[in-house]
Amino acid sequence: MSINTVHDVEFGTELPAFSPDTSLARTAEFAQAVGWGNGRGRFDNHEAAKKQGLPGALVPGIMGMGFLTTTIHQWSAVAQIEQIDTVFRAPMLADAPLTIGAVVTDIDEETGLIELDMTLKNDLDETRVFGTARVRLPTE
Amino acid sequence: MSAVIDIEELRSQFLDQEFDSQEFVLKTENILTVARASGETRAEFSDESHPDFQAPPALLCSLASGRHLPIDFPAMGGIPMDGGKAVTRHAPVRPNQTLIGKTHLHDIYDKKGRSGRMILIVARMEVYDTDDNHLATADSRMVIREKPTS
Repeated sequence: MSINTVHDVEFGTELPAFSPDTSLARTAEFAQAVGWGNGRGRFDNHEAAKKQGLPGALVPGIMGMGFLTTTIHQWSAVAQIEQIDTVFRAPMLADAPLTIGAVVTDIDEETGLIELDMTLKNDLDETRVFGTARVRLPTE
Repeated sequence: MSAVIDIEELRSQFLDQEFDSQEFVLKTENILTVARASGETRAEFSDESHPDFQAPPALLCSLASGRHLPIDFPAMGGIPMDGGKAVTRHAPVRPNQTLIGKTHLHDIYDKKGRSGRMILIVARMEVYDTDDNHLATADSRMVIREKPTS
C-alpha cells in the first residue's frame, strides 16, 4: 500500500525494510564524502581498523542514519523527515549484515506528523543503533 | 585520584554559549555519494537535475563532526565517544551554497550505570545560509566515562 497521506498510516505499522549495503566499498566512499576519509583505514580496511583496537572496519554511525532515512523515503514517496535522532549504542561492522526495524508509534492526523521508533541490528539480533524520527505527511 | 565532575557547575559555565563558527559548502558529488551509499532512491537526494535537489539528513549531521567542546572545557580524563547524532531540518540545504555553522553546548547531563557514571554532552550546531535563514540544527552527543576516584 502506498502512503500518500497521514490517513494511510496505522499505529503500530512496521515499515518495509531494505538490506543495506555495508561493503567496504560503500563505507569507504561514504566516509570520504563526509570528510572522514583520513580514518587510517577505520572505515575501509579491516586489518588497519584492528590495529587501532577496533573489531574490524566500521560502518560510519551517520551512514546508519542514512539507512534509516532511506527506509522512510522508500516507505512513502511524500514523507518529509523533520527530525531524526540516533543513538550509537555499539559499533556496526562493515561487510556484515544489518537489519532495519521501524515502527509507527504516534500519529497526529490534524498536523500530519507521525513518530517512528527505529533500530539497526546485527546478525546476532543485537541493537547497534536506535532512534526516533518525526515525519510529516500530507493531511489530504 | 581525580575530582568528581560537578555537572551543575559545567552547565552554568558552558551551556548556550557559542564557541565555534565555521563556513561550509556541500558539493554536489558528496551529496550524490552519501545518497548512493545510503541506498537512497528519492530523486531530490539522488538526482542533481531534480528541481528540489538537496542534502540528505545524514550529510547535515556530518557538519557537526568538527570541534565539539569549548577550548577552556575541562579535561575529564576519558576519551569522548560518539554517542549519537540528530538533525532537525528547517529548510532544504542546497549544494554549492555557503553555510554557516554556529556551535554551542546544548546539554550536559550524567547517567549512572553498572560500570560507573557516564557524562553526556550535546553539542548543537545551528546551520544558516548567508541571509541568516535557519536551515538545520545538528546535534552531536558525546559520551565520556568518568574515571574512578580511587
